[in-house]
Amino acid sequence: MIRRPRSGWLLAAAAWSAALAAGPAPQTRWAAETPEVRIRLVARSPDQISGFYRARRLPEPAVEALRRACLVTVGIRNLGDRVLWLAPERWRFRTLAGREVERLSRAHWRRLWARLGVPAGARATFGWTLLPERRDLQPDEPVGGNLTLVPPAEPFVVEARFPTGRDGDGPPVVLRSPPLTCPEDAPA
Amino acid sequence: MIHPSIWGQTLSNASRSRLPARWLAAAALWSAIALAGPSPPPGLMPLDGRPAPPLRLADMDGAVTDLGEFRGRWVLVHFWASWCTPCRREMPTLQGLRERIPPERLGMVLVNTAETDEEVFAFLGVVAPDLKTLMDRDGQVTERWRPRGLPSSFLVDPAGRLRYIALGGRKWDGPAYLAFLTALTGAGEGG
Repeated sequence: MIRRPRSGWLLAAAAWSAALAAGPAPQTRWAAETPEVRIRLVARSPDQISGFYRARRLPEPAVEALRRACLVTVGIRNLGDRVLWLAPERWRFRTLAGREVERLSRAHWRRLWARLGVPAGARATFGWTLLPERRDLQPDEPVGGNLTLVPPAEPFVVEARFPTGRDGDGPPVVLRSPPLTCPEDAPA
Repeated sequence: MIHPSIWGQTLSNASRSRLPARWLAAAALWSAIALAGPSPPPGLMPLDGRPAPPLRLADMDGAVTDLGEFRGRWVLVHFWASWCTPCRREMPTLQGLRERIPPERLGMVLVNTAETDEEVFAFLGVVAPDLKTLMDRDGQVTERWRPRGLPSSFLVDPAGRLRYIALGGRKWDGPAYLAFLTALTGAGEGG
């Protein structure tokens, strides 16, 4: 069961405030561009998540499950002239202390949707809103979708790795984000 | 038909004796060019020509379309959803394409992925009122086609084989795409 830390979040935020004082404050957005790739990340609040998926007719139990995750919208474009590989399982999500942040894969959601009896159409829609698990990214090709994480209690850094080469076994293009955070809902 | 006079030269007896070989070489070259077809614009990736997966769906009025009905002409098969931002940008360019290349030359099959009539009607009625879409209500046909994402467009040749896939949303009514599709579908005429 995924739980967004709430009171724990405040404690963690306090504990981390000293560490973060020396560096940039955690953000909910990140954009970067190199000659080879452009990437843009936006971490969504629970209300943004539920607003989007309710409008897509996901059943309420599914929406509630998604609200408890940290959902990050990702947009990527291959700006170079060689094939890159999109493989989120090769990306690293770590807190500043080095603790790994768990990514929730498609398989996780498939199992949950089966248990909750989510209709096929809603499952299909949800699937297309996720970032692909693994595929090539041709020159000038854009790709977008959501990544889902177990919400960390601390700011985290994303290391986006794009392997190169025909079979994805070449040296990767690596981009590293500044500290990011999953936003809470704005107070009512 | 290529006539020997196009060579524009006086042929010696020796060279006349080589004429059939030249003819064959020229014919082979022309065949290769015709088979290769026009070069695709950036963003359109050639595929291996495997048969297109089955596609038989109804539109919002219940009228059924089967991809098999399009044998003999090129078809653009386009998967989309109104919630997908690149789909919203791309759809007007598909309407522009429809206005410039007639359906007799290029069939167009739009497939909405797992949305309701209300969602589709509200979107298409405003953005591309002349286009109709098939409704893949449970998303299973879309899954079988294995698109790279949404939106996704495939070009299916007159024999029902997958020949190209568009990488993300593309400007179908832009000069590069119109020139390519005009050449591609024109070459298919009478063939």
